[in-house]
Order: sequence, then structure tokens, then C-alpha cells
Amino acid sequence: MKLQAVDYAVLVLYFGFVLAIGWQLRRKVRTANEFLTSGRSVPVWIASIAFLAANLGAQELVGMAASGAKYGIMTAHFYWIGAIPAMLFVGVFMMPFYYGSRARSVPEYLRLRFDEKTRAFNAMTFAVMTVFSSGISMYALGLLLKAVLGWSFTASVVVAALIVLAYTLLGGLTSAIYNEVLQFLLILFGFAPLAILAVKAAGGWQTLATRLPEAMTHLWKPADAAIHNPMGVEVFGLVAGLGFVLSFGYWCTDYLVIQRAMAANSMDAARRAPVLATFPKMLFPFIVIVPGIAAVVLASKGVGYSLPLKAGGGYDYDQVLMTLMGQFYPSGMLGVGLAGLMASFMSGMAGNVTAFNTVFTYDIYQAHIRRDAPDHHYLMVGRAATVLGIGLSVAAAYLAQRYNNIMDLLQLVFGFVNAPLFATFLLGMFWKRTTGHGAFFGLLAGTTAAAVTHGLTTAEGKGAWMAALHQFPSTMAQNFWIAIAAWSVCFVTTITVSVLTKARPEEELRGLVYSLTDRIPAGSQPWYARPKVLGTIAIAVLITLNVWFW
Amino acid sequence: MLDLRIPVGGYFLLNGLVLIVAWLIGATPSDQLMSVAVNIWVGVPMIVFGVAMLALARRSKS
Repeated sequence: MKLQAVDYAVLVLYFGFVLAIGWQLRRKVRTANEFLTSGRSVPVWIASIAFLAANLGAQELVGMAASGAKYGIMTAHFYWIGAIPAMLFVGVFMMPFYYGSRARSVPEYLRLRFDEKTRAFNAMTFAVMTVFSSGISMYALGLLLKAVLGWSFTASVVVAALIVLAYTLLGGLTSAIYNEVLQFLLILFGFAPLAILAVKAAGGWQTLATRLPEAMTHLWKPADAAIHNPMGVEVFGLVAGLGFVLSFGYWCTDYLVIQRAMAANSMDAARRAPVLATFPKMLFPFIVIVPGIAAVVLASKGVGYSLPLKAGGGYDYDQVLMTLMGQFYPSGMLGVGLAGLMASFMSGMAGNVTAFNTVFTYDIYQAHIRRDAPDHHYLMVGRAATVLGIGLSVAAAYLAQRYNNIMDLLQLVFGFVNAPLFATFLLGMFWKRTTGHGAFFGLLAGTTAAAVTHGLTTAEGKGAWMAALHQFPSTMAQNFWIAIAAWSVCFVTTITVSVLTKARPEEELRGLVYSLTDRIPAGSQPWYARPKVLGTIAIAVLITLNVWFW
Repeated sequence: MLDLRIPVGGYFLLNGLVLIVAWLIGATPSDQLMSVAVNIWVGVPMIVFGVAMLALARRSKS
């Protein structure tokens, strides 16, 4: 793939605007809160788009096209069942506690609701995870740009990191969020045309459906048994593991996305941000997954496109998206597509970094190192944490480049840590009897259960480092069941330990637990703008999509 | 506070214009799946979107 001057012009224009937005917002940052949490100033439409964009990293775009080519439309489960219900739940039911409490971050909510040790556990694991996941996605980007464009790994990683550093240092979270809106729109303009062109060239969706095996064009039909679909998953694992544990664990507790909604300028806006975000989210499979599916058909038609190959044999699905661009986009649009990829990478990275610096400053530094410093001290620490976060991400990217296996291991560990979390939050917010000891030991037991499940089961030759008691048809199925085990153990342990330990006085839990918090009045908003009404419409659309692709 | 619609509108207006230029100078590609007209099909909506954003920002200011 060769870039022309006009493609570089598109890239430079994008970099220029991203930096200019950061520069424009530099005056807004006077206090630590303004830098780290945007001082609750963001309008609802901006918070809503940022809620989506921070999650939409380059790895996701590249990975979803790859999964589309590998698994077909079933990949859409990661969007539809795997995101929408959880996004609605966090907006309608959980945001009142996140936004309504005095918490500045998700770990800080755990401090208010439970105790210091639960917060410390969550803050530490979250800080480590954000740094490594932004490092991994940086590594993936560097690798891709090197393979397709021949750019140097170091140059692309360092340039992208420096630009993100510049605009987050200048305008803090506000700058990250504002840029995420621009980046999100650019991703749409850069990727949506590709989906249309690829499907059109493959002969339209009907032709696609007739040329592919049924398992690739249906959502639920092939899920009756693991052997009927290439993912190797069955309905229960899919619904309970992905649709409940993993999805709610991510969208309802991960500070990376919650931070965007918490930056909104009112409770009403904070609740509507995730709910409104479900509508574009539902349509994303058509942009990111469908090109991958079309690529398979195109390759079989002999029209000049073939699936990218790995050096060692087999298909390199991760390159599907870029090779499609190279095939369909002329100079000009190629620059836009590439800028879109850069934009997704930067929005994901800025999301990680701005969540990291806040958790580091408030939940680690202020909680354990220096408690009562003047505000400008924490502003300085927040800025230093931004530099530190980006520096560590770059280091993690190089670590991944040197030791490939480390990445597998880390992703596995992240799964262990994330899976039980939703049980803790669910009980904490909706059962006033839950205690700090219950939450802490529940999390510990849940994480251990995840590790043990992995140690006792095997899939595709992975796991079973203790004993091979059970074999899963795929690592995906294994992941789903590890999540189910972790969540269940955390849920039961939290309840048991809570009942055995002393409850906190109800007075202290006002505003933190459902039964002890005043209902939010429906207020002056028109009926169609209320979170519950919007949520109901979203569910109706979601059901329609699922029936359509049944 | 910065009205985000101004930089977003400006950005897509300019990006759309660059795509129009790319369409004007673009040679007919040798690849049968590629068409230089894609630049127009995306460039024009970008310009329309950019101008609409700028117009909205201007209207709410006055």
C-alpha cells in the first residue's frame, strides 16, 4: 500500500486539529478536578459520544473486522448482547450512585460504600490494567502500520504517543473527551464507506448470505450447540458469560467508560449519556464486522481480492481491514481511513491515560502517599501521572514486542480481575447489608476462582496448569465459563461474609445504596428524553436486530 | 467554554475539500475494485456536515 501526498495532507490536518482543540482548552484547567474529572462541565451529547469512543480503540476496530472474517455475524453478540443491556443498566440504575455520591472515581465509590482495602484492590488492578492495555493496543498499531505501510515501529508508536500526551496535558480530561467526539466522527467517515463498498462488491447482503455457511450469517441459530458455530460457544455460556458477567463487569464498573458519563454537567446528562450511546453502538457491527464478512466472500469470487496470509501459513485476519482499504480506497480516502484508524487508536489511548491519571492521583497518591496537600499539588501530580501513564504504555508496547507470550498471560490475568467485579457493585448498590469485608473477600475469592477454573480446564491447548478436568471447545467458551465461575463465587462469598460481619449504620449509606436513596424525580424533561423511555426504545431496536439476524 | 461544533465543523469542511482535490487530481486506478469517485461520495457529505455544524454553532451564538 502506497500513500500519496494528499493522504499525508489528510493525516496532518487531523493531527493539527487534535492539537488545536487541546490548545484551545488549556485555559480551562486551573484545578486538579478540572484537569482530572473535567469539573463536571461536559454537555450530554459530547459525554455520550465520548462514552463510546473511549472504548473504541484501534484494537477493537481491527479485531472486530478480523472476527467478522473468522466467525461471521455472531461477532455482533459482542455489541448487541455484550454491551447494550449493560449500558442501559449503568445509565438508568447505577449512574445515580456514581454521579450522586461525592465520589470522583469508581474506586472512590468503593471507598465510600465499603472501605479502604476494597478501594485499594480495585485502584491498583485498574491502574496496572489500563497501562498494559494501552501498551498492547499501541503494540498492535505499530505492528499493523509496519506490516501494511512499512512505517517504523518506533516512529509510529512514539509519534502517536506524543500527540496524545500533548493534548491530554494541555486540556486534561475535557480535551480528551472533546477530541474523542472528533475522532469518533472521523472513524465513521473513514470506515462506513468501506462497509458499503465491500458489501456492494460482494453482491449485496443477499448474495453474501447465500455464499456463506449458515453459521456465519446467523446470530442464534448456530448457537444451539458449540459444534455448530466457529466460535465454539453455546447459548448459556454466551448469555451468562458474555451477556451478563463480562459485559456488565466492563460497562458498569470500568472507570474508563464511567468517567465519561461522570464528567457530564448534570445528573440527568450523566444518566442519559450511556443510554443515548446505545443507539450508535447498536449500528456499529454494520461498520466494523460486516466488512470482515464481505472480505471472505470477495476472496472467493476472484475479483482481485484475497485474504491476507501469515508468514507461517494460515490467514492473517488482523490485516483484513487494512487490505480492504488498500483495495477499495483511492488516494485521499485512503488517508481518511488511515486517519480514522489513528483516531481510534488515540481515543482508546487517551481514554486509558485519563482514567489512569485520575485513579493514580486520587485513589493511590492522595489515599496512601500524601493526604492533605493543597490543590495545586494534586494538579501537578495529575500532570505527572499523565506523563508516567504514557511512558509506561510505551514501555509495555516494547515489552509486548520482545516477549509475545507476556501479552497472552496479561490478557488472561485481566479476565480474572474483571470478571467478579460486577457482583461486588451489584450487591453494594442494591443490598444495604453488604459489608466492606464481604466485598473485599468476595473479590479475592472470585479472582481466585477464575484462576482455579483456568487451571483445571483446557481449550485449544491452553490452561489446565493444575489438572485437566474438563475440555472446552474453544478458548472463547473457556473465557465465558471462567467469568461465570468467578462471578458466582464472588457473589456467594460476598453475601456469606457480609452476613457474618457487622453491618454499617444506615445513616452512612445514604446516597450510596438503592433502598436508602431518594428516587430521582422525573423532573421537567419531556417524556421522550427520560432514561427509562429511551432505554425501552433501545431494547425494542435490540430485539428487532436479534430477530432479523436470528 | 469552547463550542465543539466550531472545530468539528471546520475540520470536516477542510477534510472534505481535500477529498475534492484528491478527486480532481486522481488518476483512474488500475485496480478494478477501486474508484476515484469515492472521494466525491465521501467528500461532499463531509463538507455538508461541516457547514451544518458551523451554521448551528453560529446560530446558537447570536
